[in-house]
Amino acid sequence: MHDSSREAPDGQVGIVLAWGEVPVFRPGDPVRILTRYPVGHYRVPIYLRGKRGMVEAVVEPAGIDNEEEGYGRNAGIKLHYYRIAIPMTEIWSDYQGSHRGGLRVEVCETWLERI
Amino acid sequence: MRRRQHGHDGTHEHAHPEISESERLGYFEIMETAVRELLIEKRLIGADEIRRQIEVLDSRTPALGAKVVARAWADPDFRARLLANGRSACEELGISFYDDTSLIVLENTEKVHNLIVCTLCSCYPRPVLGLPPDWYKLKPYRARAVSEPRSVLAEFGTVIPDEVEVRVSDSTAMVRYLVLPRRPEGTEDYSEQQLAALVTRDTMIGVALAAIGTGRTGL
Amino acid sequence: MSETESLVTRLPNDIGGLPAGPIQRVDHELAPWEKCCHALADVLDFHKIINTEEKRCGVEALGAEMIGKLTYYERWIVAFANILFRKGILTPGELARKMDEVQARWPAGVNDEPAGRP
Repeated sequence: MHDSSREAPDGQVGIVLAWGEVPVFRPGDPVRILTRYPVGHYRVPIYLRGKRGMVEAVVEPAGIDNEEEGYGRNAGIKLHYYRIAIPMTEIWSDYQGSHRGGLRVEVCETWLERI
Repeated sequence: MRRRQHGHDGTHEHAHPEISESERLGYFEIMETAVRELLIEKRLIGADEIRRQIEVLDSRTPALGAKVVARAWADPDFRARLLANGRSACEELGISFYDDTSLIVLENTEKVHNLIVCTLCSCYPRPVLGLPPDWYKLKPYRARAVSEPRSVLAEFGTVIPDEVEVRVSDSTAMVRYLVLPRRPEGTEDYSEQQLAALVTRDTMIGVALAAIGTGRTGL
Repeated sequence: MSETESLVTRLPNDIGGLPAGPIQRVDHELAPWEKCCHALADVLDFHKIINTEEKRCGVEALGAEMIGKLTYYERWIVAFANILFRKGILTPGELARKMDEVQARWPAGVNDEPAGRP
């Protein structure tokens, strides 16, 4: 099976990239923040669970999963975080004022699904 | 009980959990000293490291952010670099990122007004603004900035026209945000230093607009 | 979601969008011990003895009552103590003895009542 996440983005042949080096999502991708309820520690606020948005930017460099870091893991596979754009009306059905309101938040790729 | 004076806001009467209260200071101060000394005795950290870090913290104030903003207003090439990579552009001016955070600079335009908040804790661009004010760490700002930003802004005396998008950035991981306010009209002849004097901490959080006559005094 | 389930799955610091009162534009100059506590946090993170994420997690683990009643840096130092115990870097007895020692250094008159919660 062809796995593009193994290859360098500029098409260099024969260079295998480490896990997590290539972002899973690209700017413009529509995504949904997952609805799940971890206990202990998380960095995805509850008000954003299940909300749909768009990847605005890939945050570089990649980082360690902050839910694991919260328990003292200072190393491990790095994953990408993404700056996600979400309209305020998607988050708050009764959003007051102008419809031109938006939220931006950084979300780790373990919390995003493609839609 | 040991008593200390603090710069309380005189308009604020009731007890507040973010603000140190002299009655309760002693116990936690002792705990801090004890933890720090034990770690130094065990050679896990150095006393000199703590002293140096206090100097680092003292050296970071909103004046640094104001310098960055003024440079961006005066120099379009710097502005472009700042918007492309906030951290490396600040580093050009000697501002180091001791906490290893990244910085995204959010430019206010005639169409978009940016506001920053950390709903989960108190993430703040400390390398370039210093430590956040208490209100930034308290529930009313953290809870409401993401759901009713226009009302929050109005409480700061900042009214954003309806046709302008209010865009809120909630910091949750290793990126920090700094708002690049709009340059006030009538400042075409200002020097960079005069421009910097117009830039307050609140304009770089996004709760205020930069304006002539409302900046810091004494510059 | 049941009330008890929600108590477990919503961290006490996760307050975005909750109802809250007017903005209180308060600030205070940090007490020397508070600034020292901040510097300690940074140094602990530099050495990855307690990284920033562990500090956040440790404060959350204090629970809603302590988060509501302790000041910002009071929460930090209590969280640090708990994390250091858990990691086996300090023991509770060791910290108690050191706190007694620190208190005993204060000159009479400056601290003529026992330190601690009133």
